[in-house]
Amino acid sequence: MNQRATTDEEHRLIQRFKQGSPDAMEEIVGLYEEGLYNFGLRMCGQREDAEDIIQDTLLSAFRYLKDFREETRLKNWLYKIAANACFRKRRKKKCEPDYELSLENLVPGEGAAGRYDIPDWNEDPSENLLRSELKSVIEEAVHELPPIYRMVFNLRDMEGFSTEETADIMDITPQAVKTRLHRARLFLREKITERYRKDIPHA
Amino acid sequence: MHEDCMKHVEHISEFLDGELDEATCEEIRAHLRDCPECRACVESLKKTVDVMKRCPRESVPRDVKLRLRAALRDCVAQGASTRP
Repeated sequence: MNQRATTDEEHRLIQRFKQGSPDAMEEIVGLYEEGLYNFGLRMCGQREDAEDIIQDTLLSAFRYLKDFREETRLKNWLYKIAANACFRKRRKKKCEPDYELSLENLVPGEGAAGRYDIPDWNEDPSENLLRSELKSVIEEAVHELPPIYRMVFNLRDMEGFSTEETADIMDITPQAVKTRLHRARLFLREKITERYRKDIPHA
Repeated sequence: MHEDCMKHVEHISEFLDGELDEATCEEIRAHLRDCPECRACVESLKKTVDVMKRCPRESVPRDVKLRLRAALRDCVAQGASTRP
């Protein structure tokens, strides 16, 4: 018999859904819709695309949930469906080529210590304008990442999946996750520093 | 960047994420004590990850929520009507 990997909350909701409870579906949607919407938004960049991703993911999930064997967490299964939806959407658009990021191009030359001036995220409400500027700088930087790196970064750093979980969701090795995450972070550091200096001269 | 630095820079994310064995961590810590450039590199990378993680999520717009629920209700109703 397989070991159940879902959390107790997920297990209870799945059982209720299988017994025909209409509230169970609403509760599952409520648990994961914001995460999936933001994942779609960061992967595709457009609100319409994020809406397609969340709809495709949840429609497909509820179509097959009655046969779900709980060998993985429900959350991980949903993100695996969402990741495939993002790849399909990208294939359809036929743009955004993937390319490898080279480590040599992402590390500074000698004597460059202190070149990186990364802003802090200020929670002070009086800094709202600065925060929204920084947010758009961050969003643009994420969108400039080649898609395979963007997905690893989103799953690991933004959605909080472990290296092994990310590898499973993307069907790649844990070592590939580590390598891509590191390069993605170095790339984002470069882009944020560059944009922050250019876009927010008063900072 | 020196060859010795490059060797360590390659593993800095794993170092920050606690995914390296203790011997490799100690090797990196020893290098960082002597190398201000790599110390700056680690600090800036740590700050990058922190600022990204603290950037707030968007709420799902109300119209998106409504359309999603309508589509899900249709899907479940169709499933129920085709079930034997």
